[in-house]
Amino acid sequence: MASCSRHAVTSALRGTTKALTSRRQQSLEQQFQSLRLGARRLSTEPSSSAITAAPELDVDDLEKFRLAKHARPVPVSPSYFSRTPRFNDRYLAIERLSRSCSHLPVIPAADVVHVGWKSLPDLRRAFGEPVKATDYAKCLKLIKRLQLIHPNAQPKELGQALEEFKRDIQALRNVANPIPIDKFGRALGVGKRKSSSARAFVLEGQGEVLINGKTLAEYFGRVHDRESAVWALHATERLDKYNVWARVDGGGTTGQAEALTLAIAKGLIAHEPTLKSALRKAGCITRDRRTVERKKAGFQKARKGQTWVKR
Amino acid sequence: MPVPNSLRCLVRPSTGLPVSIPRTAASLGVPSAGLLGTPLLAAASFSTTSSRSEGASGIAKNHHRGGKKTFTVKKKAFVLERGKSPLPGERKAYRKRIILSNDNALAVPWLTDLGPAELSNENNVARVMGIPEEVQDQLRASEAFKTTQCWRMFRKPAVLVRKETVDLTRRMDRAAQNNEMLRLVVTGDKVAGKSLMLLQAMTHAFLNDWVVIHIPEAQELTTACTEYAPIPNTDPLQYMQPVYALKLIQAIKKANEKVLSKTFTRNAHPHLPQNIPANTPLLTLANVAKESEAAWPVFQSLWAELTAQGVARPPILLSIDGLAHMMKISDYRTPAFDLIHSHDLALVRLFANAFGGGLKLPAGGAVIGATSRSNAPRCPSLELAVSRREVEQRIEASSKAAGSGSGAETTATATEEVPQRDPYFRGYDDRVEAVLRSVEVLRVGAIDKNEARAVMEYWAASGMFRSVVDTKTVTEKWTLGGNGVLGEMERASLLSMRM
Repeated sequence: MASCSRHAVTSALRGTTKALTSRRQQSLEQQFQSLRLGARRLSTEPSSSAITAAPELDVDDLEKFRLAKHARPVPVSPSYFSRTPRFNDRYLAIERLSRSCSHLPVIPAADVVHVGWKSLPDLRRAFGEPVKATDYAKCLKLIKRLQLIHPNAQPKELGQALEEFKRDIQALRNVANPIPIDKFGRALGVGKRKSSSARAFVLEGQGEVLINGKTLAEYFGRVHDRESAVWALHATERLDKYNVWARVDGGGTTGQAEALTLAIAKGLIAHEPTLKSALRKAGCITRDRRTVERKKAGFQKARKGQTWVKR
Repeated sequence: MPVPNSLRCLVRPSTGLPVSIPRTAASLGVPSAGLLGTPLLAAASFSTTSSRSEGASGIAKNHHRGGKKTFTVKKKAFVLERGKSPLPGERKAYRKRIILSNDNALAVPWLTDLGPAELSNENNVARVMGIPEEVQDQLRASEAFKTTQCWRMFRKPAVLVRKETVDLTRRMDRAAQNNEMLRLVVTGDKVAGKSLMLLQAMTHAFLNDWVVIHIPEAQELTTACTEYAPIPNTDPLQYMQPVYALKLIQAIKKANEKVLSKTFTRNAHPHLPQNIPANTPLLTLANVAKESEAAWPVFQSLWAELTAQGVARPPILLSIDGLAHMMKISDYRTPAFDLIHSHDLALVRLFANAFGGGLKLPAGGAVIGATSRSNAPRCPSLELAVSRREVEQRIEASSKAAGSGSGAETTATATEEVPQRDPYFRGYDDRVEAVLRSVEVLRVGAIDKNEARAVMEYWAASGMFRSVVDTKTVTEKWTLGGNGVLGEMERASLLSMRM
């Protein structure tokens, strides 16, 4: 029995799949027969032609298909016995590709579409294998060389080979939706700072600002806050070209003023996208991530300890 | 008697401990032995016995052994030298002083002084004009300048002629021409220029030889900080404020010297401390008030003369700042300890009467009150009356415009509803509403960009604003100043640290 199965495996490995065991053939035959019998019982008519079984297979006769007397199974993947078979397979595939594609035309590195490759920890996690850093570095070098091949000349399999090395989320391909300008000519920008959030409708005008229905001076007592609220317009010298109607809530005066800076800047970019770099220099693009640190157990505030008392 | 104390000072404290100066000797001023140069302890005779030696006695008493004393340098206590502290009243004087010129500021070459007709000239809108020196003195005498205003920044006081100014002065002129009384309340946002509007009205009055009676702070009359006394034979009982009346007479006298010296009494006033016959200059009458006892009768006589019918009299401007203080129940008490309504104080009553329309002046005049947004008690009746009158004025204007046949925008205001009393609120005051029923309301709003540019050019020419005045800077400050609130613009551009 064991020898028979080994024989079958070996022959399967060598492509002689025709050699099937006679026993299995018989059992199928029997099943078929039983089905026919059942059918016959249902119809009382006698069948015109009886099914005859095929002649029995002679196992010795199959010997002529055998190539070798003794054979051991060889794994399909050459990296079957390595610690990192999945990575190795892909590495080898990429090596093969880089060898075969070395003659293809390349484009300058600056023109290549930027792709985020998996970092080593991500790759290890994705393959579930302890990939070596040096191997990964070598592999990545090849990948980057393959990337330079002109897009029209790239073979199809190259894309598939590189797919598994790409990050799941391509941050650089993530483009923010442009803010639309509605039929009244307004662009709605949203900004946040600390726990304040602001929505500013920016539209072309003469420099009038209304915040929660009040003028800038009524809403912000401090001149500094007023200045920071309209800083985006001031820094780009557009204060006399736009009107702002804004809603702010949450937080204190400083937070609200600086939330407005961001909101107005975004609304302004919707009107004039080229101002983005100027606004970035003026500090109106980046959201300030700092917020109040959470309170910790055992402390009076985030870090303030209890007063030390002797006994 | 300082002698014994001073003598005791000479006693060295270390040696003085065991032997004190006998009280009697010290009090009599007799110098003790120590003071004559002999050490006090020398009085103790030398002895070898431990009980009588000085150190031994101390040790035995305190139960500790006197070790070797180490020499330590004691730190001297740090004494903060604060310099001379100001004398009583000096701080307040410093706080309250009015500075009207700054020698470091540049003189503005194109600045022209105001003439009698300048403030009512429409062509002067959005121009900054200087206040003539004599008018400065008059305004200072009547305390029209305030410490919160930025006079101290510029070479000489100058004002921006605004649309509201021209409107106000024209109304004043019209009232004087028709021998009528202009009754007006100036209202507006915080630091919008309400007091300045009052100052401009006073300037216009001084330039046109009006008599100006100005109460710089209505709260001085009603917060029970000046003396008061009931006026006999009045019903309902009224109260005079003699000390304030004296101050007011002196201010009137100083501010209106020129006009009062040209105006003469019609009747004799024999009941005053100094006999005033008929045909005496009113200045002499005002001069009679030397002490607060006679102040109230003098004020009454002066007022009677100023309002006397049938003789040549100048128009009168009554102006009061901080109107809300005048429209509330005062902090004064009756002998029965009830609170007195402000309108029962005779001086306030005069103004209230004028606002209510009960005052007829021989040559016409105006009573102008300015509300305040910084120091004002809540006065629902005043707020209601002002908002009501504003709406009524708009409706009147729109119906007039509709009569003359102009656009569709007027119909929108015609549908506006006049605000009514809140039926669930008790804090209204009938007397206040009766007084303000028919006053005119002038709202001092934001300035437009032309006016902003004019005032900023003046700042720049004075060297106080150090950047180019162009559309951008004007709009920037205009926006930062809450869409053109003049005081806020001043804060944003002159009073910030960045110059």
